[in-house]
Amino acid sequence: MSVFVFFLQGTVVLLLAPLATGCVRWCKARFQGRHGASPFLPYVRFLTLLRKEMVIAETASWIFHAAPFVVLCTAVFVAFSLPLLTSAPPPGGLDNFILFAAILALGSVFLVLGGLDPGTAFGGMGASREMTLASLVEPAMITALAAFAVVSDNSAISGMLAAGGASLLQHPALVLSLVALGLVALAENARYPVDNPATHLELTMVHEAMILEYSGAYLAIIELASSIRLTVFALLLANLLVPFPLLATAISFSGALATIGATVAKLVIAMFLLALWESSIPKMRFYRMQEYLSGAFFIALAGLAFSLLSLP
Amino acid sequence: MYLLSLWRRLFFGIRVTMPRPVFTRGHTEHCEIVGAEIREIVRRLYGGRALQIRAVDGGSTNAEESELTMLGNAYYDIERFGMSFAASPRHADMLLVTGPVTRNLEQAVRSSYESAPQPCIVVAVGDGACTGGIWKDSYAVVGPVESVIPVHVKIPGDPPTPTDILRGILHALRTRP
Amino acid sequence: MTLHTSIASGIFVCLLGTLLSSLVGACGRSAGAHRISQILLALSNAIGALAALAFFFADTPVLPLIHLSLLFPTTLGLDHLSALFFLIVTGMSSVTALFAIHYVESERDTYNVRSLDCIAALFVLGMQMVPLTPSVAGFMLFWEVMSIASFFLVMADRKDASIKAAFLYLTMTQLGASALLAGFFLLGDGTIFPDFAALAQHARTASDDTILFAFALLFFGFGSKAGLVPFHLWLPEAHPRAPSHISALMSGVMLKIALYGFLRTVLFLLPPLPVIAGMAVLALGLLSGLLGVLHAVVDRDIKRTLAFSSIENLGLIFTMVGLSMIARANGLSVLAELALAAALFHAVNHAIFKTGLFLCAGAIVQGTHAHSLEAMGGLAKTMPRFTVAFCSLALAASALPPFGAFFGEWMFLEGIVGTLKEGGMMLQGLLLVALAAVVLISGLAIFAMVKLFAIACLGAPRSPGAAHAKEPAALLTAPLFALAILALGMGLLSPAVLSFLSPAHVGIVASRLPTVAVATGRLSPLTAFLALAAILLVCIMLVRMAWSGRRRLSHVWDCGQEVNAGMEYTATAFSAPIRFFFRFLLHHKTVVATPVVPTNPWIVRQSMTVHADTSIRFATIYGYVARILLWLSAQAKRLQNGIVQFYLLLMFLALVLSLIIAV
Repeated sequence: MSVFVFFLQGTVVLLLAPLATGCVRWCKARFQGRHGASPFLPYVRFLTLLRKEMVIAETASWIFHAAPFVVLCTAVFVAFSLPLLTSAPPPGGLDNFILFAAILALGSVFLVLGGLDPGTAFGGMGASREMTLASLVEPAMITALAAFAVVSDNSAISGMLAAGGASLLQHPALVLSLVALGLVALAENARYPVDNPATHLELTMVHEAMILEYSGAYLAIIELASSIRLTVFALLLANLLVPFPLLATAISFSGALATIGATVAKLVIAMFLLALWESSIPKMRFYRMQEYLSGAFFIALAGLAFSLLSLP
Repeated sequence: MYLLSLWRRLFFGIRVTMPRPVFTRGHTEHCEIVGAEIREIVRRLYGGRALQIRAVDGGSTNAEESELTMLGNAYYDIERFGMSFAASPRHADMLLVTGPVTRNLEQAVRSSYESAPQPCIVVAVGDGACTGGIWKDSYAVVGPVESVIPVHVKIPGDPPTPTDILRGILHALRTRP
Repeated sequence: MTLHTSIASGIFVCLLGTLLSSLVGACGRSAGAHRISQILLALSNAIGALAALAFFFADTPVLPLIHLSLLFPTTLGLDHLSALFFLIVTGMSSVTALFAIHYVESERDTYNVRSLDCIAALFVLGMQMVPLTPSVAGFMLFWEVMSIASFFLVMADRKDASIKAAFLYLTMTQLGASALLAGFFLLGDGTIFPDFAALAQHARTASDDTILFAFALLFFGFGSKAGLVPFHLWLPEAHPRAPSHISALMSGVMLKIALYGFLRTVLFLLPPLPVIAGMAVLALGLLSGLLGVLHAVVDRDIKRTLAFSSIENLGLIFTMVGLSMIARANGLSVLAELALAAALFHAVNHAIFKTGLFLCAGAIVQGTHAHSLEAMGGLAKTMPRFTVAFCSLALAASALPPFGAFFGEWMFLEGIVGTLKEGGMMLQGLLLVALAAVVLISGLAIFAMVKLFAIACLGAPRSPGAAHAKEPAALLTAPLFALAILALGMGLLSPAVLSFLSPAHVGIVASRLPTVAVATGRLSPLTAFLALAAILLVCIMLVRMAWSGRRRLSHVWDCGQEVNAGMEYTATAFSAPIRFFFRFLLHHKTVVATPVVPTNPWIVRQSMTVHADTSIRFATIYGYVARILLWLSAQAKRLQNGIVQFYLLLMFLALVLSLIIAV
């Protein structure tokens, strides 16, 4: 029965993921004084891409074909295994925080390989940048989540949530870890100030530059994967802040409905805040990313150190 | 303090977007649409409800580019029609080709067309792209876009205004009233 | 025949076979002799590996093999620690011998096949014997066999650069060996060549200062062999110079023998050490990890990258060992056990993937005739089957799930996070630093390995050699696939393997607390792998079903202008952000301005060099040391003045001095 909860959660997250991307675009358009595209546009876009032809570069090898599936696979894996709608621990301890970071890194690695494979300069540039970010973000993420693990005495993320929002009140230092996690989430999802998701200038691209060669179904699933990542991070941060209402292993229909409703609300609020954030600050130059990343890393370390000090 | 004033503008700033009917109703005779092929393409693209556009410069004077840039601003805001500009022809559902195709850029136009996945609508924007304009028969010019790649929609004007372009595209798609 | 006798006979067969392989290799003149020698080596080592594996299932702590009374009286024998390292040696030697059959044949113009085969087998023999010998004399004897054989192997291609690297290696390794000898003498309290058991007896009664000094000497000896950072200078020079299957053995296995020696000393010979010893190990481990990985990221040579990655991995292993020592000194037995198990597990994993990666590098260098990553590219297109193996090994080396190395690092981090609450302020600080550094190192290791694989194999070929590369022969790819599957298997079976390697099981710690089993129970690699695989399959099926478009091949999107391989991102370009971010450590760029017109200083031609290959700062430090040594030897030269009376006076003075010291 418990497995069913995870299927429900995975399905809901997968279905909601394009909405998250659409929502943040819509909010940003409103902030810019525009009417903006419908938040449901990414769904149509996804279906359109599935109908379109796939143009494959002649220089591409098997990596180019394998990469989108692995990227999607890692995103779906975290959507299923993390406690996003449910607080139940998944079988086999799959919500371990180090595994979570490593699985995300695996996805980034394959995206990078796919970007480099056709042999274009822009693909290589995006790949180099994404790899730099991924390899320096991973330490910050593990350190930030380690603080929650130490406080809740549990290395599974579901266990961290079970310790509850009260832990945030008892250990105010965890706010630092949460901030670090937020910075990590921005970097992982190619958002401001790390990357501009709406840019058309190749020289400022990070994430987009790697997928310039992808078309058709491959592009559809890569975009879906990045939406899922965004959703997962948004819900994870929201749940660390407000760990309710979450489903237990035994679920009722009304409970499920309430949780799904709350999830949608959390997601929309998170996307609104993201849009506000992106409208309020400029993008950083890539070669200043060291400041951002080391900042995230040291905030995470400080969060860990201070929460250690606050422990009895 | 600065952030507060920024937020005030973000939340309470004026909306300047033109109402939708300005573009969906009105004169479209000037826009030339070729064949039943485009109907078929539009049908396969879900009526173009989510349309990615790639702008290709085939040797224009940049007048058309300037007008195309206008399309994305708050006044015209093509995003509300589901359209947006793409960073690569691989992502595009529509190519907006501008300018008489010069010999130097002939390869670029052809390469963009080959790179774009089918079905793909090709729109020639501006007099130069439609007929060659004042550069017709010049030694440096190959000819109108038609002579290099197949064209589905032609939007004349030197340059056409953003309103013209938007009307042309919407007329071609004709998805929503 | 009982299990014990069959294990013992298996090991004897293995040793004899290795010796025989060396003889066949030395005597045979034809290509057939080379093949027989390598097949013999592969088979005998496979038998040895099976025997060592069987030892883990034989319920006995020590298995005596044979009593030697000839040179150094001792009993050759296996305990769990030596069985583990014997397993690493034999297993990897077996695979590399298989690889060498075809590899060396195609390189017969470069190498003298007879001497190469002979010395390689002797090298393997030395490495096999080191863990088996529980006596100082035997240990040092086989240690030297291993060192000197590998010294000759480094200069197997008889090029000037190789000979230079080989002598650098010889110097460092002999310095290390003399430090080892001195350390053993100090511990043995003047006993000449004692048994390890006797040595431990002596050590128990020695004073703290003696122990610490002996530890420092031994740590230098083993650390310099393992390539820890201040003593690492020889490693990136010597390892890439050897033929690739030997590089694989040197990096994948020989460094582990150094680790074995260190573990044997720290865990069995020395009495419990003070915290400061563990801190020294931890510090050097972290330093090696960080500098090793940074150089692995920025280096452009395929084999040097791998050599630097070896420094990084050994650094990680020594970090784990150091933390385990600290934890033991502080009475945190859980962390001590977890870290030690993680270290052993990571050692096994590193042996597997590093051997595999060096073999991959050998196949690539043979196919493309290039050592530089800049001259490769496009191999995924020309040798697709081979790149599948290469890709899996590179992923294993970047410690990503579901491969084994990830679970080793996972358990180590888990152990740190689990014990962060306990212990005093200082210990917490140490754990924090270790945690931060290890996650940073593992993050950058991903970068290094992705660079290695992607720049070598993806994109368009950047040299004619790479463009004309062909799929390597099946005999070359098969060992790589075997290693890739082994690396994956280590991941999937990691709970079982880890509990086999747990210190309690290996006989290092007396307690039989199920610490490791409890820790590994928190994450099931098999479930993770099955979930990933199932999701992947479902994704592929769903997308195939939903996708209704066609597929078309076209040129790469070129922005309207033909692209060529010269525009691609190279290794230098790819690692540029990291080089920039860590420029205070890497010190990477020099701009040289040469005047165009001699009379006018303002018109200059500027040329920029990006240093990826030298760690300049260490070269400077070693330069100072070398200068002081030269100066000292110049002073010593004055003694040689050719006057007989003077020599007599010196002898007399030496006699007086030694009498004074003796009294």
